[in-house]
Amino acid sequence: MSLSKRQRARAVRSVQYGVLVAAVVAFALVADWHQLRMAFFDVEVAKALFPEIITTALVNTVLYTLLGFGFGLALGLVLALMRLSSVPPYRWLAVTYIEFFRGIPCLLVFIALGFGVPLAFEVALDMNITVMLSLGLVGAAYMAETIRAGIQAVPKGQTEAARSLGMSHGRAMVSIVIPQAFRIVLPPLTNELILLTKDSSLVYLLGLSLTQFELANFGRDALNEHKSLTPILIAGLLYLVITLPLGQLVRRLEARTAKAR
Amino acid sequence: MSARSALPVIAAAAAIVVLAGCSSTKSDGKKGSGGLELVSSGTLKTCTHLPYAPFQVKKDGKVVGFDVDLVDLVAKDLGVKQEIVNTPFEGIETGQDFTIRKCDLAAAGMTITSARDKVMDFSDPYFNATQALLTKSGKPFKKVEELKGKKLGYQKATTGGIYAKKHGKGVELVEFEDLGLLLTAVKSGQVAAGINDNGVLFDYVKQNPDTKVTAEFNTGEHYGIGVRTGNDALRKKVNAVIKKAKSDGSYDRIYKKWFGTTPQS
Repeated sequence: MSLSKRQRARAVRSVQYGVLVAAVVAFALVADWHQLRMAFFDVEVAKALFPEIITTALVNTVLYTLLGFGFGLALGLVLALMRLSSVPPYRWLAVTYIEFFRGIPCLLVFIALGFGVPLAFEVALDMNITVMLSLGLVGAAYMAETIRAGIQAVPKGQTEAARSLGMSHGRAMVSIVIPQAFRIVLPPLTNELILLTKDSSLVYLLGLSLTQFELANFGRDALNEHKSLTPILIAGLLYLVITLPLGQLVRRLEARTAKAR
Repeated sequence: MSARSALPVIAAAAAIVVLAGCSSTKSDGKKGSGGLELVSSGTLKTCTHLPYAPFQVKKDGKVVGFDVDLVDLVAKDLGVKQEIVNTPFEGIETGQDFTIRKCDLAAAGMTITSARDKVMDFSDPYFNATQALLTKSGKPFKKVEELKGKKLGYQKATTGGIYAKKHGKGVELVEFEDLGLLLTAVKSGQVAAGINDNGVLFDYVKQNPDTKVTAEFNTGEHYGIGVRTGNDALRKKVNAVIKKAKSDGSYDRIYKKWFGTTPQS
């Protein structure tokens, strides 16, 4: 029996579906659901987590992220402008910074600031400031590149038109180019915000007091207390509570921008 | 039903049969000597959380320490090699590592507590531990209560943390993921003091003369070696080895090697 090309393609696809379905069914049959449910969905344990997991952990995660993102965005903008500058040392400085902080793990930055600074200068920075700097320094390196790309994506004609109206170069940048650039880079900036949200869990390295716990640490602490994995699952879901609306928000903003054009 | 639409169904059914066949022929696991079953035959897998000098610490690419030497005696008795599995302490402490068969036993400078006893079985005590307070030299703190309004660091999921929470009213407690971070925080002045087991703190003070152990709190704690709940064959073996080591002097020799003194009791 010879199959036509189309029939063969269909048969191949059927086998692929079959394997997929079989894998799912096998997983469902083989997995010990009772064990899983006991470990991950212990209702009593889940109840014990509230309201602190919201009022402390979720709030702190958002706080740490916003601190880091705010500082990172400001620094990132400066770095992007430095990178596009006509003054060579500015460019070199910006490139060195970006390559360095984009290349090293965020973990190292936390350790360097959290433990290195106190050892070197005998002053401990405030927790929130350490978090802001650590997350911000790394975030800025990524955001600088994003913003630079955004600025370069604004048509040259915009600058030329602004200049021909008598605006200075700086004025044109601030009033014409940068606002348009930010519209362009909105989606990648949101990505960065979401990444920072998860990176904020690295704050555990600094040592946390009860009021400073964020989601990941809170979940793991409760895991120890209750000897159940449920807290980890719930903490994980709460990250989604932060990140899903963010994605929604960006899609909204994008739609509005598209309409405005 | 045309032949075309039946294809996926047939494929899925065939695959299920194959997979079900696989899962139903689970092996019973190889029995070792004396009904003793190891997670992977030929090696005694030990869960621990590094670093915890002098109980377990990495040196020249190998994990060495008091606990390691002690468990080596067990491994030798079984005629197998010890393999150290470094894993977060909470995984050990909650018994999860035993549930997922990550290791045969846990030797992690771990105090026997009733909460932990519920999720694993402990050997007889093999080490008497007290909680101790570490500060930078020249600090007067002798009690947890004296740290009111100051920061006291503890390690996550340790009995030191439990002690601190119980006695530290008005003290700002700061939790650290592992011992290294806790000790560094004391040294760098981020916390006024740190609480942990005496053995490790004395070891640290030896290497860091700018720090001091200012107090010990006798909490009547004993370290035990943990095994999976119900694994009596291994637990009895461990107990026998500890007993033998204490009577034939090898326990004292190991103790002296790591603490520089002989055990008091």
